Amino acid sequence: MAETVMSFTVITPTIQCHAPKLELHTFTKSLRHCSSSAFGNGRHQIQVGKSTRNSGLRVKAFPDWPLMAILVEHMEGQRDLITHKSVWHLSDEAMKNVYTFYIMFTVWGCCFFGSTKDPYYDSEQYRGDGGDGTGHWVYEKQEDIEEAARAELWREELIEEIEQKVGGLPELEEAGKKEQLVK
Amino acid sequence: MATTTILPKSIPHFLTTRPYFAITHVTNVPFLINNPLDTSFSAKKSGNYRPNCKKKNPWLDPFDYGDDPEMEYGSLFADGKQDEDPRPPDNPDNPYGFLKFPMGYSVEIASLGLKIRGDVRRCCCVIDGGVYENLLFFPIIQMIKDRYPGVQVDILSTARGKQTFELNKNVRWANAYDLDDDFPEPAEYTDMVGILKSRYYDMILSTKLAGIGHAVFLFMSTARDRVSYIYPNVNSAGAGLFLSETFTPDSMNLSEGGYHMYRQMVDWLGRPARKVPRQPLPPLKVSISRKIREVVEAKYKNAGAQKGKYIVIHGIKSDSKASMQSRGDADSLLPIEIWAKIAEEIRGVKPVFVIPHEKEREDVEDAVGLDASIVFITTPGQLAALIDDSAGVIATNTAAIQLANARGKPSFGLFCSEDKARSFVPNAEEKKCATISSKTGKLVDIDVEAVKSAVQIFTMPLAIF
Repeated sequence: MAETVMSFTVITPTIQCHAPKLELHTFTKSLRHCSSSAFGNGRHQIQVGKSTRNSGLRVKAFPDWPLMAILVEHMEGQRDLITHKSVWHLSDEAMKNVYTFYIMFTVWGCCFFGSTKDPYYDSEQYRGDGGDGTGHWVYEKQEDIEEAARAELWREELIEEIEQKVGGLPELEEAGKKEQLVK
Repeated sequence: MATTTILPKSIPHFLTTRPYFAITHVTNVPFLINNPLDTSFSAKKSGNYRPNCKKKNPWLDPFDYGDDPEMEYGSLFADGKQDEDPRPPDNPDNPYGFLKFPMGYSVEIASLGLKIRGDVRRCCCVIDGGVYENLLFFPIIQMIKDRYPGVQVDILSTARGKQTFELNKNVRWANAYDLDDDFPEPAEYTDMVGILKSRYYDMILSTKLAGIGHAVFLFMSTARDRVSYIYPNVNSAGAGLFLSETFTPDSMNLSEGGYHMYRQMVDWLGRPARKVPRQPLPPLKVSISRKIREVVEAKYKNAGAQKGKYIVIHGIKSDSKASMQSRGDADSLLPIEIWAKIAEEIRGVKPVFVIPHEKEREDVEDAVGLDASIVFITTPGQLAALIDDSAGVIATNTAAIQLANARGKPSFGLFCSEDKARSFVPNAEEKKCATISSKTGKLVDIDVEAVKSAVQIFTMPLAIF
């Protein structure tokens, strides 16, 4: 089994685009060379494992930058495996936002889904005057009643008119009765 | 201009030999006035000139030269009145609930009547004023019903005026809206605009004097015909842009016209169209539902009156809003002391005093006596039912006198002047209404002796009623 050579580069985002190229060049010649030293500003602390594939790596977190690490696994006669790793550190503020959102969603959810099971919203008190159950309230009830009353009035008048017209002709009614009997 | 429009009727045009084709809702097209300089045009169309027509608003359509005289109309949807109900019957055999279309019925052209003939399927009447003004609008509603068979009439009125429409069987919806409020609450305003728009009216009539604000309100209903009275002064500027027909009243107060206060609108609504003669204005009629009758019967029985054996006294002075006087006649209420003197003379039948507010009860009891029959009535519906069961009415110029005329009851009207009497109760004799007016122009100075002697007719044998 070919010896695996690993190297870590901790880079800042500003030089991210150059890093992979440089790595490929340097690893061909000097296997144990720490490529990052070319860019290192002294703060990077790098361990390179010889025999194990995943060597322990301890990187001190930067206060506010997202960290980015590039892991290159070099094997003889094969292509290099390059792995980008980034570690995200949330700031206090961001954590607070996340928890705030979480608690707000929970409270809203309790209210909303709790209310769907609340019999009050199906009661006459809530649905009574104009609530139609869709969330839209329709206030035409009074007008509806009055409209129905007027329609009733119209029918009454019509019946009266017909009675006045037909009243002198009782034989018509009898004729109607006879017709019914025939049927 | 004003002198021509107040003439009662324009000369019907079909008297001329040429057949006259007019789209019904633009009949008032003045060709000569529209193009006074274009002599060739005028000469060509001079056959269509009518002397009484109004000037058309050139801003509405600058290229509207009126009807094309060479246009030929077919028989379909072109003349006559509209059909009662164009909706074919439902087809019970169809699982999808489709309609049963008769042979030759095509849905695509079913609505053409709206364009060619000017059909009105849904009509909204925006009526300003109180009970009296709304009551006098009843004949117009009946007229619209007769002119456009199958029309559905809706009402937008003030809260007070809306109560009148429990007496009208021809109305579908009645909504209350404060028309006199110059600065309505935005929510109410938009709500009402939305309601009107979503009902898809073909015609909207308004008796409120419109400035540009009210005209915009009517315009937003998107009705095809927006018809309104406008201010007779500069306040009407711009209103004509949003209205398709405007009427200019003689004065700022429409109600001063008396019984025929809406005569310009009546004139326009009843205009003759192709093969439709001028629509006559029916008399004022009210209908009373059984429920109201029952309620009122309980009320007057409670006050100690018998059906057909009492006379209604209406028009007691009060600061109540329910006094039902006309806006055109401010001096139309008599103090209770004078009423008490008049009521003393009434024998044989029981006078029933109608009070518009409970606080008046004590005053009436003081003036007339504790055994006086007092009925507390605020709505026109109940008043009409009370009058309908009575032997007669003695009233000042309030809605009671019109209701008595509408139900054919004998009535005495006390008016502050002869002019008012004539304008509010025209044809008094045939309506069984006797009018007595004050000589001085003030109702308080009315000749009580004359009233007393006139009232004696109620003491005559009851058989004549």
